[in-house]
Amino acid sequence: MNYFSTVVALLRDRKEFLEEIHDSVKLKSKISALMLCSFCFFALYGAIIGTFHSPLQALSSAIKLPALYLITLLVCLPTLYIFNVLFGSKQSIAQHFTYLLTAVSVIAVLLCGFAPVTLFFLITVNDYSFFLLLNVAIFALTGVLGVSFLYQIMKPISDSDTGEGVKVRTSILRFWLGLYGFVGSQLGWTLRPFFGSPGQFELFRPREGSFFSGVWNAIVNLLT
Amino acid sequence: MRPDLKALAITEKELERLTGCDVGPLFVGGILGGVYRPSIFQTLQRSLAFCLTEVVVFLLVFAFTLPIGLSLMRDSSNGVNQVPGMLQFLTVTLGMALMVMIAWNVYMWLRGKRLRSLMQLLDEVDRYHAVIGAIAVLDQLEAVGHPQTVLSDANLSQTSLQNRTEVLEALRLTRDNLVAGLMTEKILRDSRGLLARRQELIAGIETNLVTLRAIEVKHQANEYGQVLNEALQIGIKVHQEIQQLSN
Repeated sequence: MNYFSTVVALLRDRKEFLEEIHDSVKLKSKISALMLCSFCFFALYGAIIGTFHSPLQALSSAIKLPALYLITLLVCLPTLYIFNVLFGSKQSIAQHFTYLLTAVSVIAVLLCGFAPVTLFFLITVNDYSFFLLLNVAIFALTGVLGVSFLYQIMKPISDSDTGEGVKVRTSILRFWLGLYGFVGSQLGWTLRPFFGSPGQFELFRPREGSFFSGVWNAIVNLLT
Repeated sequence: MRPDLKALAITEKELERLTGCDVGPLFVGGILGGVYRPSIFQTLQRSLAFCLTEVVVFLLVFAFTLPIGLSLMRDSSNGVNQVPGMLQFLTVTLGMALMVMIAWNVYMWLRGKRLRSLMQLLDEVDRYHAVIGAIAVLDQLEAVGHPQTVLSDANLSQTSLQNRTEVLEALRLTRDNLVAGLMTEKILRDSRGLLARRQELIAGIETNLVTLRAIEVKHQANEYGQVLNEALQIGIKVHQEIQQLSN
């Protein structure tokens, strides 16, 4: 399928790819390809981390991990678009969506890059807390890289305009990145388990606590 | 591929400009809001790629239905981790995903019926590119000194260079026909009315067809006859399609 060639084009010739988004060239194709490819990459990584528990968990995580990233993006997209348009952006919602999908695809590709490492630790280590923290670190690293990538690619759009709007939209983008992380971590908490703690298979866990309290508990468990 | 042959190809960007749609091997207008090309069912490879796309899109839609299913199960007496609750959750989410897929396919089928002419013209563009590909192979074989390898009449190898020029001319005419056909289709699709430019484009196609026929008759007996015939067939198909559109 030529969907993957879109991601390859993004990785190989980023400048031209971003210029095409800026000029609204083949946006629908790009959206479709980036969405399907990022889904496949996330599903692959989700299946790997789910394998730590059971095949059923692998299946569940293969659907839940793409859902986490893509739903978060869809939830936060209108905020970014509406605020940007309000402060002078000329970009369409399809362009905004493509930019965001580009960043999410970069995260997906980075996660796939870590897949062999995760697979290695999956085979050699049988410690739930370690595996959980390893993946939190991987997700944090790929997330930071993806977010900084998004910050870089959306900044030139601001640079093309002049005046007060530029500063405001840069601040909006920073705020939005924080919002994206916040929504993402909470959705992740809602859709958990992705790894599956030792014991019976669970499709979803009861709604209690938050993402941050969960990470804290894992650190405490590892140290004690 | 030689530059003169490369210049004859209709690029993706040009095709997008001519048709006003994002044209891919499986879909016209992309997966989102576009339609599938009926010709995908003519080859096994494209059929498989289409089926695979359908499966991935289904899983994607299913992923998007997870929060809806989860919110519907919030007040359910069956816990989502017990078997009855799990089945209820999967019935809701898979059912919604299935409904979305059915609606999407019906939409594509209905829209595809309206774009029948465009689809046929795009198939002709594919055939045209296949002909260009065949000539590129002939060029490569000639370049390594095996002109007779693909010839039906081996003694005609000396005339191949002269024939090539005429074949390229025939392809240029075919290209003009295709471009005119695609433009006419777009104009008719956009306006659905009579426009002065349409007659001009149809007249251009007819003139090109007459010239193509003349070249084809002249070279029926040599190795490029098949290629010329192919070019002529594409031209005739485009002409028929435009005639049908204008009626």
